Amino acid sequence: MSDQLVKRRAPIEHYLLAIAFGTTLTIAVSLVVGASNPDDFWLAAGIGALTAAYPSVSLGAWLFVSNHTVTRDHRGEESVELTWMKQAASGAFLDVLIATLVVTVVLLVGRFQVDALPVLLLLIALSAVDAGLRYLANRYRALR
Amino acid sequence: MRNNLAERRLDRGWTQADLARALGVSRQTVISIERGRFDPSLPLAFLISQTFGCKIEDVFTAENTR
Repeated sequence: MSDQLVKRRAPIEHYLLAIAFGTTLTIAVSLVVGASNPDDFWLAAGIGALTAAYPSVSLGAWLFVSNHTVTRDHRGEESVELTWMKQAASGAFLDVLIATLVVTVVLLVGRFQVDALPVLLLLIALSAVDAGLRYLANRYRALR
Repeated sequence: MRNNLAERRLDRGWTQADLARALGVSRQTVISIERGRFDPSLPLAFLISQTFGCKIEDVFTAENTR
């Protein structure tokens, strides 16, 4: 069998396309979110941009870059990465559940009144960062 | 489970990437199996044994047998 490794870099214009696509989509989403809250246009547009930026650029990378950088496994469901992802997702779910319970108890006991939107944004950020870190930890443990 | 996947692979002069391509899985999967940090599914274990022309128990052995 040959020892030719899969090329891991896409042509530079594909990265630029992904960034341009992600930026355009982010601006479009932020304008829609901003227009839906005309009283606080820039605040709403900023929150819209923050929430849309990562998925938009990821979508751009998936569309324009991943074909050049990702090896297509015929049996991807048998690969260890899926196990790492499942473990990370289940761990992150429990973390978010515990965090939600703790925050709920604190809010109830302290009789605090908070807006739902920042709390939901924090939960989204927590779940994404938690799952990502757990995946990296699983990967590190398995490959060290 | 313990396994002798690395020795069998090296006997054939294959790299981990070669074996990963033959099995249709990622190279990280091969690395993890060889280091005993990931137990493959039964279909993948069958595929590995078929790839090397042997039985599953020739490649994999249980660490704790009663």
